[in-house]
Formats: sequence, C-alpha cells, structure tokens
Amino acid sequence: MVGLSAGEKHFIQGGIAQDLRADGRKRLNYRPIYVETGVIPQADGSAKVKMGATEVIASVKLDLARPNPSQPGKGKVSLFVSCSATAGPMFEGRGSEELSAELSVALQRCLLGGKSGAGAAFDPSCLSIVDGKLCWDAYIDGLVVSADGNLLDALGAAIKAALTNTRVPVANVPAGASLDEDPDVDLSSQETTRIDTSGVPVIVTLTKVGRHYIVDATSEEESQMSSAVSVSINKERRICGLTKRGGAGLDPSIILDMISVASHVSEQLMNKLDSEIAAAEADEQDT
Amino acid sequence: MEYVNPEGIREDGRRPLEMRHLHAEIGTVARADGSAVFEMGNTKVIAAVYGPREVQNRSQQLNDQALVRCEYTMPNFSTGDRMRKPKGDRRSTEISLVIRQTMEACILTHLMPRSQIDIFVQVLSADGGTRSACINAATLALADAGIPMRDLVTSCSAGYLNSTPLLDLSYFEDSAGGPDVTVGILPKLDKVTLLQMDARLPIDIFENVVQLATEGCKAVANYIHEVLLENTKQLEYRRGL
Repeated sequence: MVGLSAGEKHFIQGGIAQDLRADGRKRLNYRPIYVETGVIPQADGSAKVKMGATEVIASVKLDLARPNPSQPGKGKVSLFVSCSATAGPMFEGRGSEELSAELSVALQRCLLGGKSGAGAAFDPSCLSIVDGKLCWDAYIDGLVVSADGNLLDALGAAIKAALTNTRVPVANVPAGASLDEDPDVDLSSQETTRIDTSGVPVIVTLTKVGRHYIVDATSEEESQMSSAVSVSINKERRICGLTKRGGAGLDPSIILDMISVASHVSEQLMNKLDSEIAAAEADEQDT
Repeated sequence: MEYVNPEGIREDGRRPLEMRHLHAEIGTVARADGSAVFEMGNTKVIAAVYGPREVQNRSQQLNDQALVRCEYTMPNFSTGDRMRKPKGDRRSTEISLVIRQTMEACILTHLMPRSQIDIFVQVLSADGGTRSACINAATLALADAGIPMRDLVTSCSAGYLNSTPLLDLSYFEDSAGGPDVTVGILPKLDKVTLLQMDARLPIDIFENVVQLATEGCKAVANYIHEVLLENTKQLEYRRGL
C-alpha cells in the first residue's frame, strides 16, 4: 500500500475535525452497504457483504457430531476468519496470520458467548438432534476478499446474514437405533429449519482520529487513528462485546462516550442490515 | 456407475459436449490493479493482480524481465467436506506453479524488467475444473490490470466416462476415477500452453478428448472476449465518450 504524504494526512485529519470526510461522508455515516446471500452453493448458509471497497464473505457449514458432555442439549459452534491474498500482497503466504487471529478472537468474543454457553449470539440448542448423543457442529468461516478498512463491522454483518441464510437440515434418527456407534441418520427429507438470529448483535467500530470519532473508517483513515473501540450491540441495546485497538491510551470518560455513540449508531446499522438481509433473502428465493 | 444415462444425459442434466454455464465479472476488488470473478457452473473463483510493481525480494529480481508470482488458495468452506489446511498443502502449491507457468508464457515480461507481477487466486466454491476456472479468472484479471499479453489464455477440462468423451467435468464426474484432461490454449495464436492428464487413456481416444477440451477453450475465449468488450464499452461510457 502506498504511504500517505504529510498533506494528505493533514487533509484527512482536518476533514474529520470539520465533520466532512474525504469521500463526503459525515463522521457517523456508513458507506453504502450491499448484502447478497447464498453465494456459496456448498455451504449450508453464506453471505457476501460490501461496504464501499471492503468485501467479505461468511459461510456456515454444519457437520454431524457428538455434543460436548457438559452441554448435552446444544451443538458446538466455532468461528474462524482468514484474509485472502486477493485483498493485498501483504496477506500472501503467512502474512495474514496476525490479522486473521485478531479478527477471529474479536468476533468469537462478540458472538460465541462464555464457557457455559450463555451469552451466545444465537441459541445453540437449535442445533441439537438427540440430546446428549447427536448434534450439528456449526463452523462459521469468514473470508476477507478486499480490504478497505472496517473489517470487523463487515465481518459481523456478513456472519449475521450467513446465519440468517442457514438452513439446518431436519435429521430423522430411527427410533431405537443404537447411538453409541455411528447411527444411520436419515437426511433424505428436504425439510430444513432456520436459526433464530434476532439476538445476533452488530459490531460498530469507532475510530478516534484527533479529538473526534468516526464510524466505518477507510484504510487511509485507519492509518491516521490513535485508537479504535469496537462495540458489539444487540437489538435490546445491550453490549455483547468490546475490543479496544491501538496504542494510545484513552481516558475512561472517553470510552464511555464512545460506547454511547456506538449504541446510538448501532440502531441505524441494525435496521439497515435487517432490511438488506431480508431483501437479499427474498432475491435469492426468487432466483 | 452410470455417468451418462442411455438417453445420453449426464448427472447434472447436460449433454456430453455441453459446457456448464459461464459467468464473469471484472473489477470486483477495488484495491487491486486488476481483478475478476469467474464462474463455471458451481465452481467460483476470484483472481486479483497486483503489479507491475517494485520487486519485494531483491534477490529474486530479474534484470531483463518481470517476475511473475502466483498463489492459489482454497478456503475451508469451498469443498463439500470442510478442509483443515487452506494454504501450503501440496495440491495448492502444484496448482500455483501450474498457473504461474501458464500465465508467464503469455505475459510480455521483457517489457517490464526489474518488476514483479503478483497473481492471487482464491477459490470460493469448488465443483470440478478449479484449475481451468483459475486460469480463466487470471486472464481476465491481467487484462483488467492492463498488463501486456501475447494473447488471452483460456482453459477447459474434458474426460472420458462410459465410453463417451465429456466436456467440462463436474466434481462428481471427476471423482469417478476416469481420465481428466485439462488444456490451456492461446486462442488467437492457436497454441497449447497447458496440457495435464491423470489416469489412463488409449492414444486415439486421447486425441479426441484433447480436441474436445480445445473446443471448450475456444468457447471460453469467445465468452471472455464478449465480457472484455462489454467492460470497455462501460469504461468509454463512463468517460463520456
């Protein structure tokens, strides 16, 4: 990536201070968000989200497995993000490991809930087939195809859309079958159930440049940040996860202020996402 | 197992000489110098080109031509069963090499000495013929990046099952264990740049199958031509010409 000159840096910082960013947005405006679902035919659920030049794909795959003995009535969910080399030569070979790990952990924190299973984005008991013996393991994979800032928000949106798009096959286990060895699971009925994603939070990242915060930073704006706080908020305006990045220290009152601004912005983002996802699902059903 | 039923219809409803549906888009990755998405049926591949740019590793710099590098990756979710290791496994390394050699043969590297051209290919969804889809996507991405080339490179696969030559194998047909021939050609110059085959095939049938794959390549070349022409018209329109 080409570096920025002193003049360009000044332009970005000055613009943000005057509530007029380089692409004409105000500080708290998102770029146009475009959602498409069902983009990966082999996956059980998938979605592609574009925010400006940032493009990410999320997929959900379900595999039959034994549930965790400590949570017999729930399926297991795992989440992993990787950055494709198409996003930039810096992601070639092992270059993407650090960023992928950072994004994976931040998303796991927001969406997967604690060890007891409480606080997860969706209830994993919808993945259970036979209590204690058979369940679906959900593998959520995120892929960054093109990176122009604000990857976390885009990935959060894509995962929410992919989960909404997921169809869980209805598995019929013949009664009386022994479940200690591999049972004969009947997946021939084409029926599917859906996952209730009304509780899935959205992630809002606030990037602090100078004395102001902006939402949905491009990678040039991110290069000028002093710190960034990503807040994950659900429909009830409750915080589901929090991550702070960047070396500069922040006064606690500023963090509280950023959280309240994020909460305010999240409502707009949540509504926009819900309507985009519904439109994408309707589109997919038509084709 | 029956791959072609008595009426001559394949498992996915195609005739033996019929290709899957093709779809391509140019310019999808805004930050790349050139990019393209190429779909052959359910196989979907995205390619991005970065270059010509300064060589990152001085020891690899070539003084009389450009250095062409390629990386091929398949994410965990692209195949039917979830894969464990998306990068660096032997198949990916081999395909990266194959794509690099094929594209290097057609890029006019002597026009860009001491520079580097990176081609990154990412498989989004694999259903047979990924190698071919990757080469087609790379060609489009290089054209989008404006990198000078001798000709387009197009690729297609063909096989031979139930005594019938079949064009453009899907994953189901590929996994039957029969021969799988992948051909890459320079359509205008009418030259073959890539020829790979696995399993066994008698020589006279081999010629037929290669001929079939070459016809498939030409059909892909026609489609790519249309896509590029349409893209150029769009660019002209946006510039107000």
